[in-house]
Amino acid sequence: MSDKKLWRIASVLAAGSMILAACGNATPVIQTVVVKETSAAIKETSIVVQTKEVSVEKTVQVQVTAQPKADWSTPHPILSDLKVRQALATCVNRDDLISSVYPTLSAEDKAKLRMNTFIVKGTKFYDSNAIDYTYDITAAGKLLDDAGWTIPKNGGFRENANGDRLTLKFLTTNASFRQTWSAVMIKQLEKCGVQLAASYVAGAAYLFSPQTGLRRRDFELSAYAWVGQPDPGGETLYACNQVPLPTNGWAGQNYMGWCNQAASTAIRLANNTLDENERKKQYAIVQEEFAKDMVSLPLFQRAEAAAYNKNLKGIKFDATQYYPASVTDWELPGKDTVVLGLSQEPSSLFGLVEDSYATSLVNQFLFSQDITGYNYDYQGPGMVDQKLPKIDNGGAKLVEVAVKDGDKLVNSTGDIGTFKGGKLLDGDGKELTAKVKNLKGEEIDLKEGVMMPQLAVTFKFVPRTWSDGQAVSKADYQLGYKLTCDHTSGAVSYDTCDRTSKVDFATDTSYTITYVPGYTPPLYYATPLFGAYPAHRVIESEGPYKGKTLADVEPKDFGTLKEILETPLGDGPYILTKWDKQQRMVLTANPKYWGPQPKVKNLIIQFFAESQGAIAAMLQGTVDIIGGETLPGPDKSIHDAAAAGKLNEVVIPSATWEHLDINLFVK
Amino acid sequence: MVTYLVRRLFQMVFVLLVVTFVSYTLFYVAPGGPLAAIGQLQGAKGGKIREEDLVRVMQQYELDLYHVPRFLRWIIGEPRGPITIFGQEILGALEIGCLKEGQAQRVYPDGRVETTNCVKPVYLKDLVGRTTTLGILRFDFGRSQQISRGMPVMDLLGTRIVPTLVLMGISELLALLIAVPIGIYSAVKQYSRFDYFITTVTFVGSAMPTLFLGVMAILVFGLLFKDIGLPFLPAQGATSNVEIAVPLFGMITPESIGDKLWHLAMPVGVLTFVNLAGWSRFIRSSMLEVLRQDYIRTARSKGLEETTVILKHALRNALIPFVTLVVTLIPAVFGGAIITESVFSWPGMGRLYIEALNLSDYPVAMATLMISTFLTLFAFLLSDLLYPIVDPRIRLN
Repeated sequence: MSDKKLWRIASVLAAGSMILAACGNATPVIQTVVVKETSAAIKETSIVVQTKEVSVEKTVQVQVTAQPKADWSTPHPILSDLKVRQALATCVNRDDLISSVYPTLSAEDKAKLRMNTFIVKGTKFYDSNAIDYTYDITAAGKLLDDAGWTIPKNGGFRENANGDRLTLKFLTTNASFRQTWSAVMIKQLEKCGVQLAASYVAGAAYLFSPQTGLRRRDFELSAYAWVGQPDPGGETLYACNQVPLPTNGWAGQNYMGWCNQAASTAIRLANNTLDENERKKQYAIVQEEFAKDMVSLPLFQRAEAAAYNKNLKGIKFDATQYYPASVTDWELPGKDTVVLGLSQEPSSLFGLVEDSYATSLVNQFLFSQDITGYNYDYQGPGMVDQKLPKIDNGGAKLVEVAVKDGDKLVNSTGDIGTFKGGKLLDGDGKELTAKVKNLKGEEIDLKEGVMMPQLAVTFKFVPRTWSDGQAVSKADYQLGYKLTCDHTSGAVSYDTCDRTSKVDFATDTSYTITYVPGYTPPLYYATPLFGAYPAHRVIESEGPYKGKTLADVEPKDFGTLKEILETPLGDGPYILTKWDKQQRMVLTANPKYWGPQPKVKNLIIQFFAESQGAIAAMLQGTVDIIGGETLPGPDKSIHDAAAAGKLNEVVIPSATWEHLDINLFVK
Repeated sequence: MVTYLVRRLFQMVFVLLVVTFVSYTLFYVAPGGPLAAIGQLQGAKGGKIREEDLVRVMQQYELDLYHVPRFLRWIIGEPRGPITIFGQEILGALEIGCLKEGQAQRVYPDGRVETTNCVKPVYLKDLVGRTTTLGILRFDFGRSQQISRGMPVMDLLGTRIVPTLVLMGISELLALLIAVPIGIYSAVKQYSRFDYFITTVTFVGSAMPTLFLGVMAILVFGLLFKDIGLPFLPAQGATSNVEIAVPLFGMITPESIGDKLWHLAMPVGVLTFVNLAGWSRFIRSSMLEVLRQDYIRTARSKGLEETTVILKHALRNALIPFVTLVVTLIPAVFGGAIITESVFSWPGMGRLYIEALNLSDYPVAMATLMISTFLTLFAFLLSDLLYPIVDPRIRLN
């Protein structure tokens, strides 16, 4: 074909596509009758959604879709047997798994990583009475024999009376770390006569895809990690109503399908009771039931490694608190600059919309750390008298209020709704379950006049100034509230905002949040809903807000301002003075910081394309710190350099822990 | 010549359009992206993904629009709403997207009922007031979504182009300056010790992946040299953070010329070595082919000096294919070296591109890709135009 012909065809195609794009059946008024809704983003095809007839036009015949049979309601033919699950747990030697991925660790450090329940050892909610399935191949064999899975006469994998082989599908991510310990576990189970058919899939697709993988419970055995928080939480993981199913839009993280009523009630009470002793008691029940039913085998905490200049003092690494929280204690004798290496650069410094560790880490230098989370607990260095606002110290009040028509409240399953005409209705007018909690945490029927708990928390911050010298004021906190809770601001979640009844700004440095009746989060004292934003800050960047102040900016436009994204005004120990993208940030000590002045005058954060680059710079001595967010784990070259006295290495059990989930049901 | 040029320019535009459309489509059908990120943030916390967040994100990234209108808005910044002709707005009710999928029945005023798969359609009139770019044809590539949130892509590219031009320009130039004489000498002294040595070295250079070479260079010149007290080279970055003492070089001040050259040494060395290996082999084989030609024999038999024969008669002919090869380096000079920049944390275009892909920053990735595509097409055109200049036997028509 000649060039001319080709060109003509292309021209016609191009023009045609433009015309097609611009034309269509123009219709003046169309009524759309919804027959069946699906989520556009998820491109749902199997979610069962109530099909309803809408009588907008009487002539329209709306087809009613039949309710498909619910999936995941048939017990797994092998894994629903407790003996098999217990045998699997007993067959796994966790110490060997740890050794396979952390060969350089000492035996003592390895022992620290081993887990036996979903709460980290030594923390306040840990229950030492829960069963610890120790490695015992003989006991495992007996359990399997009792369950009817025996080794055939000619050896090999176990079989049942029908001659079916004991083979289970094992699904996990393709991360080399996980493949390494998985290979060891597969061998261990092989010795017990259990065959695992392993599949290693891309982590993002497996863990986060809404259509397939973990969130669709598409596994028999599955290995992945949870990232622990200072508080154990766990309600979305282990409560009966948190089993992802087609009928609930796959909400929840109880991927095992575990429903133990005692444990479920206990985990909900533990997460909804404000009395710490009661919480300990309830968590103990959950841990014991969890171990007894053996629906998920906690394996080990990942080791988090960090390296730092051997002369650097005052740095503190912790599993549940970023190390920058200790920055004012850092000291490098004879030097006024510390260089920190990061393998990820923040997209911006707008903490409300960013969820990356890089942004969180950098913001800890620029903004006050009012509440810290060392050692799986909370502290309040930025609060008046360092006191967190708890009920027992008068910082929070829990009262009973009578429910009346028109009230917003939270029911026993955590959903928010409005009480109208004796019913609890959600934002779309759909009726929610009418059970609510009383002050004791017991479920009661919802009706007018019923008494429900209402929580009010007063956060009192230490007085402080912005780095430009202006005192932080009530207007700044009001702006923070407006921005955090406006649904156009782009925040990651508005759940707490939606459950807030009102906020009172009593002084320049305190505010009181009153939550809607029924909303009593156990961490109410550690999670202030919002921080302050400098309302007086004049906008200098080009655009419609130039010359105005932040107080004048619409919440939806905050994410477009350089003053928010790249050059925020902070109240923390350091001020950002320069940001060369893909290279470094330069920070200098903030002389107006309310806390102790940093001993290190300058802080440079250098960005590396990958962690290996940061390791090379650390070994070369051009970087003083690389933390756990940059080091993928204990590194041999760092370990060797530390052994040679060139630098310091720290290895701690991280808050991230590996575990093996067992799916109790089949599709 | 003019006709040829016009035809080639039209072909260039067409190819560019096709490449643009295909890459734009591929980016949007690939897994990941803003909706997956929302799913990761909210879904991973055990909750359902909030519909209002989905709607906001879909509108923000135009994921509620069908592919063609979305592509048109990216290319030319249109449509922005109903078309106005003689004061009359038309096509306002034209469906150009879907905000929520699902089975629905449309009831038209004339009684017709139509079943569709969209519960919440987006009409042309809904685009009024929605923010859009001016279109890439007017050099507005939008704003970065992930790498540097909110920053205009052109500004972002502007911060990376200079380091890339410096790195690539110096390494390509050095490679050329070294490869040409080596290639010539190797060809003229075929099977000499020098030829064997150069052949061995260039084979090693061609065979070793840049990644491996880069890591080895860091281990040797960065770490080993420092350990044994030799003048070492910096392992990472384009400039130093603080003053640093280097044996023989003395104290190096951050951001000084010396500091920049010191940081350039290793990535430039690696890139030069890799290019040098291939190019010197190319020149050598090209020269060998020319040296066997009759006209070279004739030139020698005329009694011309060997230098004249080599440089004037042989080299000029041997360089014809090489010139076209060199011209095609243009996109690489601007596009950067992905692996080398990543290994040495060099703040250039190659590293930016790979980060944009990793973070699903579509506007940045598309802009980088578009610029590379344009420069590649331009380089091919330039190379074709250079043919008749370096070889008078060739006529473009």
